[in-house]
This record gives sequence, C-alpha cells and structure tokens, in this order.
Amino acid sequence: MSEQLLSIKGLHAGVEGKEILKGLNLEVGLGEVHVILGPNGSGKSTLMNVIMGHPKYEVTAGEMTFGGEDLAALKTFERARKGLFLSFQTPEEIPGITLENMIRTSRQAITGKKERIIAFRRELQGVMKSLKMDPSYAQRYLNVGFSGGEKKRAEILQLLMLSPKLALLDETDSGLDVDAVQIVSEGVAKFHNDQNSCLIITHNTRILEHLSVDRVHVLMNGQIVEEGGPELIDDINKRGFTHLLDAQGCPVGGNCPNAETCPNNK
Amino acid sequence: MALQEKDVNNGTPAVTAAALAAEEQQRAVFSRIPSRTWRWLGANTAYMPEGLTDEPVTQTITVEPGQRDAVVLSERESGAYTVQADVQEGAVLDLVKVQLVPDDAPYTSRIFVHLGRGAKLNYTAIEAGAVHTASKLEVDMEGDDSQSDIWSLYFGDGESKIDLNYIIRQRGQRTDANMQVRGALLGHSEKTFRGTLDFQRGSAGSVGRENEEVVLLSSGVRNRSVPIMLSHEDDVDGHHAVSIGKMDENKLYYLMSRGLDLAAAQRLVVEASFQPVLDRLPASESALREEIDAYLLGRLSENE
Amino acid sequence: MAEKKKTYVEDIERTLYDIKNEDHSIYKTKSGLTEDIIRDISARKHDPKWMLDFRLKSLEIYNSLELPTWGPDLSELNMDDIVTYVQPDAKMVGNWNEVPEDIKDTFDRLGIPEAEKKSLAGVGAQYDSEVVYHSMQDELVQQGVVYTDMESALTQYEDIVKEYFMTLVPPKDHKFAALHGAVWSGGSFVYVPEGVHVDVPLQSYFRLNAAGAGQFEHTLIIVEPGASLHFIEGCSAPKYNVTNLHAGCVELFVKEGARLRYSTIENWSRNMMNLNTKRALVEKDGIIEWVSGSFGSHVSMLYPCSVLHGENARCEFTGVTFASKGQNLDTGASVIHAAPHTSANINTRTISKAGGRATYRSAVKVTKNADHARCSVNCESLMLDDLSRSDTLPTMDIEGDEADIGHEAKIGRISDEAVFYLTSRGIDEEEARAMIVRGFVEPIAKELPLEYAVEMNNLVNIELEGTMG
Repeated sequence: MSEQLLSIKGLHAGVEGKEILKGLNLEVGLGEVHVILGPNGSGKSTLMNVIMGHPKYEVTAGEMTFGGEDLAALKTFERARKGLFLSFQTPEEIPGITLENMIRTSRQAITGKKERIIAFRRELQGVMKSLKMDPSYAQRYLNVGFSGGEKKRAEILQLLMLSPKLALLDETDSGLDVDAVQIVSEGVAKFHNDQNSCLIITHNTRILEHLSVDRVHVLMNGQIVEEGGPELIDDINKRGFTHLLDAQGCPVGGNCPNAETCPNNK
Repeated sequence: MALQEKDVNNGTPAVTAAALAAEEQQRAVFSRIPSRTWRWLGANTAYMPEGLTDEPVTQTITVEPGQRDAVVLSERESGAYTVQADVQEGAVLDLVKVQLVPDDAPYTSRIFVHLGRGAKLNYTAIEAGAVHTASKLEVDMEGDDSQSDIWSLYFGDGESKIDLNYIIRQRGQRTDANMQVRGALLGHSEKTFRGTLDFQRGSAGSVGRENEEVVLLSSGVRNRSVPIMLSHEDDVDGHHAVSIGKMDENKLYYLMSRGLDLAAAQRLVVEASFQPVLDRLPASESALREEIDAYLLGRLSENE
Repeated sequence: MAEKKKTYVEDIERTLYDIKNEDHSIYKTKSGLTEDIIRDISARKHDPKWMLDFRLKSLEIYNSLELPTWGPDLSELNMDDIVTYVQPDAKMVGNWNEVPEDIKDTFDRLGIPEAEKKSLAGVGAQYDSEVVYHSMQDELVQQGVVYTDMESALTQYEDIVKEYFMTLVPPKDHKFAALHGAVWSGGSFVYVPEGVHVDVPLQSYFRLNAAGAGQFEHTLIIVEPGASLHFIEGCSAPKYNVTNLHAGCVELFVKEGARLRYSTIENWSRNMMNLNTKRALVEKDGIIEWVSGSFGSHVSMLYPCSVLHGENARCEFTGVTFASKGQNLDTGASVIHAAPHTSANINTRTISKAGGRATYRSAVKVTKNADHARCSVNCESLMLDDLSRSDTLPTMDIEGDEADIGHEAKIGRISDEAVFYLTSRGIDEEEARAMIVRGFVEPIAKELPLEYAVEMNNLVNIELEGTMG
C-alpha cells in the first residue's frame, strides 16, 4: 500500500440541518486513481464539496486528513494551497475576470511565486492547444458564455496549470459529446503521475480509458456500501445499483433522504 | 434634470415644468410612484380619470390562517373599486380581476393585499376595457417566506388610456415576488406601467422578478414603462426587464409562410403573448375565459 | 448555512487629493448670489455686453425656479454661503514652468504634466474659478483645432461662442443650469474643423481648492462634420468641513458623421455637491460615446443626456458609480431619440457600501418620428452590505410602433458560490471578493483611459483591503 494522501473516517456532514453523509470512510493513497460510483442523490457531490470545504456544508462528525494534516481547521483556499483541486460539476460564471488572469492569480496564490506574464501565457496557450481549446478563450470572462464542454475543458486546463496533489473530478465528463470526453480523458491522463492522485465521480467509463483505476467505491445513502477493484465498474454497469441495496437493505432506515425513490421503501 | 424639449421634439410643443406643475395641482391625483423622478417624463403621477369621483366601492377579504380562498372580480361597470385583503399566516389568496368596462366609461381600482408569514397571493388581472383605466396594486409582504405571483395583461385601443401602478414591498425574510406583465397597444391608446419592487431593510434572502413585454401595433400609440427597484438590503436578488417593440418579424414571416395573412398572424402572436396570463384563469371560469377570448379577438379584428 | 460573509470597507484613501494649498486667491466675490455679485464677476472677466445680459437674465430665472422635487436632498446647500467666484493668483499660461509653484505642485501630484508628456495631445488646467494653463500640440494648431479656455474663446471666437453657448442647456432648464448661466467661469472650448481627426486625447482638469467655493466651469465642444475627438475631464478637490458646490455645464455638438468620446473621472471630495449638467446634440451618422466614473462628492446629480437629432445618430454610454459612507450619488443617463434609425446602448454598474446610497436614474424617450429607434439598457448594482442603498429608477417613454427598446437591471450581492469557486483555486477570500468586484466593473474600466483604469482598480483595492468581517 502506498503512502496515504487523503483519509476520511466516520464522516457525517450535511446542509441546512439535513444530514447527507452518514459515516463515510475513504482512503486514497498517493499515486492512486479512485472512482466513486453511486446513484443520483447518494451524496457524491456533497462529498466533493465537503472535502473542498464549501461553507454551506457542515461537518458534524468524523475526521478528514490530507497528507497527514487535519482538514477541519483549513479554509477552502488553504486546502487548495495544500494541493486539493475540485473540478466543478457546474463551474461558476464570473463576469469581468478573464480565464488567464484567474489561473495566473491562482497559481501565484498556490505557489507563492510571481508568474512572468509572457512565459505564463506561452505555457497556458500550449496546454490549451493540447486540450483543443480556442486560444481566444484565455481572454474571455471566466466561463461566461462557454458551452458545457468548454466549461469542462476550462476546468481541466486549470487542473493541468495548477498541478495539485489530489484532483477531485465531479462528473467532469457529464453532458459532453464523445470527442470532448476523449479530450478531457487525455487531459486527466496527462495530469496523473505517481506523485498525485485522482478521485473521480463518473457515470461514464470512457473518461477512465487512459487511466489505470486502483480502487472503486460505491456510495449510496451517504455511505460507502461496496468497494473493489476496477472490475466493480463493469459489474455496476451490468447490474446497476439495485442489487447492492437488496443485499444491504436500506443502510439508514426511516430517515433516508431518498425514501421516495428507494426501491426498498414500499 | 428637466429637459427643454424645444430642440428635441422637432416641432412638438414643449411641455414646460411649470405647466406640468400646474397640471399636478389642478387634477386629482390617483396614485404616485414611491420615488419621484424627472417631471418631463410624466411618470410620477397617475391622475383620476375624468368623470369619476373618488367614492370607492370597497370590498374586504380575509383569508384565515392556513386557508385558501379564491375570489373572482368581474368588473363591467364604470366606478371606483377598492379591495382590501388580508392573507394570514400560511394562507393563499387566488385573486382574479377581469375588467371589461364599456369603452366610453372611466374606471379605477385599488387593491391592497397584506401577506402574513408564509402567505401567498396569486393575482391575475385582465385590464381590457374602459376609456381611462387607473389601477393600483399594493402588496405588503410583511410575513417571512411570503410569496406573490402577479400576472397582468392590458389591452389598449382607440383613445383609451391605461395607467397602472404596482408596488410590491418586500419586508419579511426570504420573500419571493414575481411580476409578469403583458400588453398590446393599438389605435391611439396610451399606457403607463409603473412596477416597483421595494426590498426593504430586513428582507434578507428575498428574490424579486419583474418583467414587462409590450407589443406596439399602431403608429399612434404611446407607451411609458417605469420599472423601479429599490433596495435597502444586500442579501437580495432583484431583476427587472422590459421589452418594448413591434412584433417579431421572423415570427410573423413564419406564420405567413404557413398561409396566414398579416392580421391573422398578428392576432396569433398577440394571443400567444397573452396566453400565460389567460391560462391562469380558474378552470371553473370557462365561460369568463371564453368571453375574454371573444372580446379580445373582437377588439383585435376591429382594429385591423 | 455558514455565517453570512460581508465585505466591510473603510473610507477611501484620499491623501493624494486632500492636500490643500493655502488660499492665495487675489479676488473672491462675497458669498451668496445677488445682481451686484453677478455684475462684479462680469466686469472682472471683461464680458461683452450680451454676456452680462445673459448672466443677469439667468439670475432672474434662477430666482424663479424651485429646487428639483426628486432625487437627493439638497437642503444642506445654502447659496448664501457659497463663494461663486475665486480668482487664483495666476494668469493663464502655456508653459507649466510659469504656473505658480503651489498650483503647479498640485497638478504635479495629480500627474497632469506627466500625462501631458506621455499620452495627451493637449491639456487644460483650471484652479478654482480660472484656467491657469492651456496647451496643445502644434500639429493640431496647424490643422485648425482650437483648444482654449472659455474666456479666451469668448474674446477670440465670440461669434461661435454666441451661436452655441447654453443653447443646448438653456438656463431655464433647471435651477442649477440657471445658476451656471449667471456665474459661470472657466472651462474649456474645443473646436475641431471638418474632417480633422484628433487621435490623441485632450484633457482638462478641474481643481477646486478654496473652501466654501463653487466651481462653475463651462465646457463647449464642437466637432464639425466627419471630425473626431477624445476629450477627458478630471475633477478633484481637497476635503473641507463646509459645503462646496460644483455646477458645471458641458455642451457637446457632434455634427454629421462626427465622433466624440467624452470621458470623465470625477473624484470630488466628500463635502462637494456635484450638480452637473452634460448634454450632447448628435447629428446624422454622428456618434457620442460617454464614459463616466463617479467616485467622489457628497451628493451627485449627473445624467449626461444625448439628443440623437439626426438620422442614424448613435450613443454609447458606459458609467460606473461607487457610493460609500456619507455619499448619495444619483447618476445615470438620458437619451432622446428624435430621428429615424437612431440607436443607443447604455451600460452601467453601481456599487454601494458602508451606508452609501447609489441611484441609477435614466430616461429613454422616443419621439413619434424616430422610426426604427433602437435602445438597449443594462444596469447592474452590487451592494456590499445592508447599511447601503441601491435604487434603480429608469423611465421609458415611447411614441409610435417602430421602436425596439430593451431594458434590464439587476441588484444583488457578491455570490457565495463565486467566492467558493475562486477560493477553491487557492485565492484567499478577501482577494476573491476584490476580484469579483473588479470583474463587476471591468466592462466599464476597460473603456477608461489607461491611467484612469489603473486608478479605478486601485480605488477598488484600497476600499476592499484588510477590512473583511
């Protein structure tokens, strides 16, 4: 087993008084690629936001460490500076800030080193080219008027430019056409090496094509209910999630937030 | 500041500030906007229509906590109407006002609605008759989490004058106001729509939307739009939009390519823009709905 | 939800603007407004007879008009306390070295002579009631461009001044236009002959140093057919405990096919009542572009007006207003479409904070003959706390059916989600908020002359720094 990067133990968290994560455990080692599967509303995006420290979410119990350091005391920007990166499912549109300015400001904030404008621009344009992004997007306002695919590519561009230790990819492939998924997938593969890790939420195995997956976790009703190797992906693709529930029963009983859609709830 | 229109109007006589001030003194004021602006725009004040004294017919509505009440006001006669409604905690009032007063008669209406905690007003108004309409709607959203959903339609033709003043005061927390207004103007009609969203201090978490869409169908019309937003609170989300213009030529072209003549195509586009308001009339009022449809169609055809 | 984050801001850093000079004026009128004072000003300025008559007539109108019945409260303004004319101890010169030392230092600190060398084709500088410096590149002089102070224009180009002066903003327009007509002094006169393009901007800078004084400069610009000009206006004053008054007047005549860009950065001190009137008359195919930044003053009422008088005339208005503690800034624009196929775009941003009050007020008027007029308005307001106020008060008055008018306005606060997005990229919260505010005004900032864009960003930085709650 490689060195631990992210370790989550007994995590309970929610939003506006409603518990969504109900005792979640997860370990991600350095250099590893982990995939999280789960039906809609199981808490996947909440988990990503809680790891990143979204102020809207409240952690009520459990602990999270990153590189051995307790995350609880760290604000979002401090987590980013420690090497966490979240690729948003729906990236924010922020008028008036250009994509280039935003990435340069971020990188300076993370590395603490001043970027030289020309050298930075050259590097950025190179990466944009590899992602088949129109170079003019660097001067456009952050995600404003970008299509769904362009927004996701802009997220991967940031991933490559900021080179974090752990990439949290929240359905980065959703809503993209086949070619775009291919580009995003290659981008993630280009990012990944033995000195960083990926935690990927996906419904689509194509994004994993260029990666070797170490571990797969199935998240349902706020808990990890099944874990395994890459073969678990195929299994879920074939059989869906229902059989897990059958075997497991409803892990949270009467307080289940998904009571209406839960097949166990008759 | 006041503009001298001498050079500006290409020969139209200038309206001097003094003349406007004199007018304000002589005529009885029906209502004002909550915050005044330039006088030369003529948007500050709505006057009482001529031939009406301000002796209102008053109706009081109280909706008890948790109850739901539906009231349909179908107004066919000249007069000054007033409604006072108190919608108490958790209650809902579905208020429909259909104004089909004869086209030579004046008409005013004042509606005041108070909303308690969690209360909701659904208001639907059709202002289609009368030679001079002056309507005021004032909603006091005092209760936290109260909602008002306001849909209004006006139709002016001939020499008709329509003067609307809607004021929504968002006072409670997390209030939600939606004001949707659709209109069409023909002939030599004149219309002023004043719509105010007033986010008062303490209305944190509130949202307000206001939207007016006016279709201008004749070169003799005059349209004034005054969408006002006042905010004493930062934690709000306010938005207003107005669009004023001719009918979308692409839409007309499309319909005409399907064999409709211009008038029929125009009628269809106006009907489409009115539809969301008309669709809110309760199913139980199908006779009224048919009457309004026939009325609007008749007026539209008459003006072709 | 976690506790609500607020961006608390302190008062603006104004050291640069607040350096006061000793009052070395050689002449001041008595405070207040009487016929004697007007005659006195007129005599000192060697007005022609018609100008004296004009002033007296304006005084009469002033006395007959009421204060506006709308907008900010002006009751603090007492004309009996205002000194309407302050003559500095300086003659108008064409060389900075000849400007008296303390006055020159003031303009040095404001960067005016430096800017002249680097990026301007001409500079005018007014100190209190009189222009102390005026200069323009020889090349432009040779092309027949005139750029001088209004007093010199009244002597040298009397016919032109007489033809245009206060015809677009007549004294009876409103009380402060009448006041201006009575006591105006200083300002700039620009004449660009037919077909001449002034590629590098001209800039006039207005500085009010004397306490309790009024500044009433008149700017008259005529851009003849097919000509073009970029004119920049800057204003500032040190802070006093008494009310100062600025009631300037700007009249812009944009002839057929001409183009004028008029940029203003107003940074008056917070004891200033800024009641300024600006108007442009645009003929066929002409273009007026306004760029307007309102940052200073205690009270402002400023709504540049574009009269689109000829076919295809166009107006582009870009404005930003930043109201902080003790400020009531009532700004906006008005457009009159008085000819067919005229078009206008109005784009504004307002920010209010620390109890400041910002109002966007506008008027769009389409007259009956203005077929196919198009106007699009977009105004957005950002509120940084719940002590402040932000109001939006537009009016549209459309006659006829051939117009296409769109208006959109938004009021709100900094989005929590946008802050989270930026902080998730390692940017701290304070900087994230500052970036969002700068982004909010960016569409305006990019229209400003470079030095001013930098200045504006600095203002935003200074005001947002180090004061997070």
